[in-house]
Amino acid sequence: MLLSNVGFSSHPGAPVAADQQSDPSPLAIAQDLEIGYEGRAILPPIQLRLDRGVLWAIVGPNGAGKSTFVRTILGLDRPVRGTLTRAPDWRPAYVPQQATLDAIFPVNVLDFVLMGRIEPNRLLGPSSREDRDRARAALADVRAGDLEDRLLRDLSGGQRQRVLFARAVAANANLFVLDEPTAALDIATEREVLDLISALRHQRGAGVLMITHLVDDGLTRADRVLLLDREHQTVLAGTADEVRDAPEMRRLYGPLHARKAT
Amino acid sequence: MTDSAPSFADFVANWSLFRDAVLTGAFAGGLLGFLGVQVVLRRMVFASSAIAQAAALGVALSFWIPSFLDPVGHAAHHSGNPGAHSAIPIVFDPVLWALGTSLLATLLFIVNPIRWRLTRESLLGVVFLVSAAGAVIIGDRITQETHDLAAILFGSAVVVRRSDLILVSSALVSLVGLHVLYWRPLIFVAFDPIGARVQGLPAGKLNAFVFLAIGVAVAFCTRALGALPVFAFSVLPALAALLLTTHLGVVFALAGILGALAGGGGYLVSFRAETPVGATQTAVATVIFCVAIGWRAVMRFRTRR
Repeated sequence: MLLSNVGFSSHPGAPVAADQQSDPSPLAIAQDLEIGYEGRAILPPIQLRLDRGVLWAIVGPNGAGKSTFVRTILGLDRPVRGTLTRAPDWRPAYVPQQATLDAIFPVNVLDFVLMGRIEPNRLLGPSSREDRDRARAALADVRAGDLEDRLLRDLSGGQRQRVLFARAVAANANLFVLDEPTAALDIATEREVLDLISALRHQRGAGVLMITHLVDDGLTRADRVLLLDREHQTVLAGTADEVRDAPEMRRLYGPLHARKAT
Repeated sequence: MTDSAPSFADFVANWSLFRDAVLTGAFAGGLLGFLGVQVVLRRMVFASSAIAQAAALGVALSFWIPSFLDPVGHAAHHSGNPGAHSAIPIVFDPVLWALGTSLLATLLFIVNPIRWRLTRESLLGVVFLVSAAGAVIIGDRITQETHDLAAILFGSAVVVRRSDLILVSSALVSLVGLHVLYWRPLIFVAFDPIGARVQGLPAGKLNAFVFLAIGVAVAFCTRALGALPVFAFSVLPALAALLLTTHLGVVFALAGILGALAGGGGYLVSFRAETPVGATQTAVATVIFCVAIGWRAVMRFRTRR
C-alpha cells in the first residue's frame, strides 16, 4: 500500500526484534502532521507510524524538509498543525552528522559515550560506576571498545560513526535518529556503517529514523521510506519497493536498482 | 624600569598595601581563565570583550548620571568639601551599573538570534560597538572621573577596593563550584546542543547559566581590573591550556591556574617594571600563551622525529 499524504502505513514483513515482539505499540504516530516554520507549513500533511524494530529512510533533495521533519518528530520544533502522539516509553537518541561536532573540543571517546548516560533528573555530580560500565558495554557493542581513551576528533570517519552509535546505545534509546550517518565516508566504511545500523536495529529492537542521501542504499536497507519534496509538495510514505516505483521518485532520482539487502 | 624602580623586597615589605589588588587580580584571572574555556570552546571569544565593554559603559553611566542629575552636589563631592554635597546614593554604585549593563548584554546572547535571522556573532558586534561608542561619549561628558574611566577601560590597581576582592572571590567560589557540579551536562550542551535537547536536558537553562556566569564574572572583574585584562584573561589562559593538554577536565583547571598566574604575576611585574597594571597583566597572559605555543611546537617536532 503506497501512501500519498493519506492513511497510515503498514509494515508487513518488517523485521522485528524478539524483545519488541511482545510490545507491538508504536513509538509515535503522526496524524495530519504539518511541519514548517513560523506557523507556515512547508509540506502537505504527513501520516506516519513509527514502530519498534522498523527502519525508516527519509529521502529527498536538499531543502526538502527532511531536517524539519526530524526536528518536529523529536520535539525540537512544534508542528504547524496536526497531532504527534508519542509512546509513554518514548526514548529517542540523536546521532548527529560527524561534521557538526566541533573538533576544537578535546572530548575523549569514553566521556562522549557517557553523555548518553546523563538523565534530565540526574544532572549533578560525576558519572557513576554503573554509567561507566554501561558506556564501556555500548562501546563493545559497536566494536569500539579499544577506542575509549582516544580523542573523538582523532578517530577515522568509520570509527567516529561507531562511537556516535555507542552513545545512543548507552542512552538505552528505543528510537535512533540518524542524520546522514554515511556522509563523507568512503564506500567501504559506508557499507560498514549501514551494516552496523542493521545489526543494532535487530539486536536492540529499536526504531530507526535515518536521513540519507544514499537513496539506493536507503531503499535497499530500509523497511519503510518517507520521500519528502518541498518544491513539488510531495509526501510519499510506503515500503521501499512501493516508493522506488513511484513516479515522484523517478522524477527526482531516475530509475533505481531494485534489490533487497540480505 | 628606572634605577629607582622598586624591588621585590619593597613589594614584600609593603604586602599589606598590595594584598587586595594582587589577590583580586589572581582570583579574577582564575575565574575568567576557567570560564574562558567555555568562551573559547563555544567560539564566542568576542563575547567577553563585548560584555566587558558593556560593563565599562555601565561604570561610565554610574559616574555620569549623578553629575547630570545634581551637577553642583557632584562637583562638591569631588572637590573634597564634605559639607557641600550629599553622599552619592548606592543606586549609582559602579558595580551595580556594570552588573546591570553586562547582564543586559548577556541577555542578548541567551536569546536565540536565529529567530531574527541574525547570528550570535553579529549580535556580539552590535553590543561591542554600542558599548564602546557609548563609553567614549559618556566619558567625554564627565570630567572628574576621567582617570577612573581610563582605569576601567584599560586597568589600574589604584581602583581595586576591598569590596572588589570580596565580590570577585565570592564569584570565583560560587561560579566555579556550580560549574564543577553541573560539569557533565554543561559540556554536553556546549558540544552537542541538539543531542542534549533530544535527551531531555534543559539546554536553554544550562546555556543561560553559562552566559550569566560569564556576564557576572566579567562585570565584577571589569570594575576591579578594567576591560582590557578581563578580555585577555577570558581568552588567553584557555587557549594556552588547550595547547598544553587534551584532557578536558585538566584544560579547565589549568586555564584557571594560568589565569591566576597572569592576574597575580602581572601585578607583580607591573610593580617591578613600573608599567600600567592592566596592560602588564595582559602582556603576562600573552607570554603564557606564547610559551604554550612554543611547547606545543616542540612536542609536535619531537613526535614527527
